[in-house]
Amino acid sequence: MPKITFALPDGKERTCSANEGLSLMEVALQNALPGIIAECNGSAACATCHVIVEDALAAMLDPISEHENDMLEFTAAARQPGSRLSCQIRVDDRLDGAIVRIPAEA
Amino acid sequence: MAGTFAFKAGSTAVPMISDVAFAELLNDPYPTFKRARDMAPIVRIEAAKIMVATRYDDIVAMERDPETFSSENPQSLVNKVMGHTMMRKDGEAHQRERRAIDPSLRPGAVKSCWGPKLEAVFEDIVARFERDGEADLFQALAAPMAGRALAEVLGFQDVDWQTMAFWSQSLIDGAGNYSGDPEISRKAVEAARGVEDAIDRALPYHRANPNTSVLSSMIHAEDPHEIDQIYANIKVAVGGGLNEPRDSILTLILGLLQNPDQLERVKANPNLWPVAFEEAVRWTSPIGMYPRRVTRDIVFSGVQLRAGDQVGLCVGAANRDGSRFEDPDRFDVFREKKSHLAFGAGAHFCAGTWVSRHMVGRLVVPRLFERLPNLRLKDPDAVRIQGWVFRGPVTLPVVWGA
Ligand code: FES
Repeated sequence: MPKITFALPDGKERTCSANEGLSLMEVALQNALPGIIAECNGSAACATCHVIVEDALAAMLDPISEHENDMLEFTAAARQPGSRLSCQIRVDDRLDGAIVRIPAEA
Repeated sequence: MAGTFAFKAGSTAVPMISDVAFAELLNDPYPTFKRARDMAPIVRIEAAKIMVATRYDDIVAMERDPETFSSENPQSLVNKVMGHTMMRKDGEAHQRERRAIDPSLRPGAVKSCWGPKLEAVFEDIVARFERDGEADLFQALAAPMAGRALAEVLGFQDVDWQTMAFWSQSLIDGAGNYSGDPEISRKAVEAARGVEDAIDRALPYHRANPNTSVLSSMIHAEDPHEIDQIYANIKVAVGGGLNEPRDSILTLILGLLQNPDQLERVKANPNLWPVAFEEAVRWTSPIGMYPRRVTRDIVFSGVQLRAGDQVGLCVGAANRDGSRFEDPDRFDVFREKKSHLAFGAGAHFCAGTWVSRHMVGRLVVPRLFERLPNLRLKDPDAVRIQGWVFRGPVTLPVVWGA
């Protein structure tokens, strides 16, 4: 089972085992991680599941859809180069060992 | 909160509130909501003949489990009045239709297309009354703004706001017509016909000229809507897309006029307008309740529910849940920032969220305060707020000028 490390808004880290096929958002909710609200439960409609991924991971993931790109302009914490909606990222073994940051709200 | 109330498994004991009259619920549902919240996770409100969930965490949990708490309900009056709309579908069936309309409503479309169009509508509406010195903002501003905006976004070029308002109210009344009142049914049928005719008139233009409107998105989507889906989903948008911006415009204005100190701070820092809007819809949520159908026997938060039960998710109550929001009945732009449920939660998260955030929170209300110096309530006692399923000010008399 891939292990993913979340860097939390308060600077702490949490490493979570993640079931393949779940979205990163769902993994975050399962582990009750702070900062992932996910109001729309994964429909890419609310922008409250914002995470920031490292360049290497960003390059590996499916490209950002036009819709996700739009939504990323409306996150509570300002968008950054690695910004993604965690509900749009599926867990697979390529994510094993990845570090994903949950930004602190502006 | 799970386990707080240990009802025996197999018991159907959902506690009941039976001493509240329906009129009380309409005038001020919040004391009843609070009682229900303190009483149990699920409570039956006799006057409304429905079981309701009123706690924030419970509603979030239900919305995260659409397999158990389904939006589908073949028996629902909404389906009879409007057809099988996406609001009453789950999973992939819902998502397919939702995806088709999303391009019209996503933030990018709001910025590039609806922003400028709605600004022109707003200017036209304000110009009609700004020299009067006083007005009822329900009739003068909120109702025409919401009706014209909705016609614009859906893609109706020849429907005035009064007609939109008639359709919307008639469809809503029809969907809630549990007593089978023939006059209400007749009006709902008339409104449904009116919407279908307007769609038939508009479609040739949208076919020939792809654009940002919802009608256009429906027919040009990768997975386009069939005509029956268009009829049904436009009806649900007419029924469900007019009250909310209208009521949230008035609620935001009211909250600020009743709290002049907060108004001054918001005016001094315009970045606070979006925050003020979120607080307004938390404080008095335009949609107070929507139903879900229980699909299997389940003990939820210690309460036994049965397959087929209807539960009303009272987001209006959850948004005043004291365990989440401090001093929840108070309008306070400066409260600790926390997400609320005014736009719902889960897959049915309000499709119009981004249009309304822009229109109400960035355009209409901030501009109004700019345009009308010294805007104030004409008579603080004359303000009336009504409703529990849909809630908002029904009249808002104001004066301005020296
Ligand atoms: S959960 Fe709403 S956008 Fe990801």
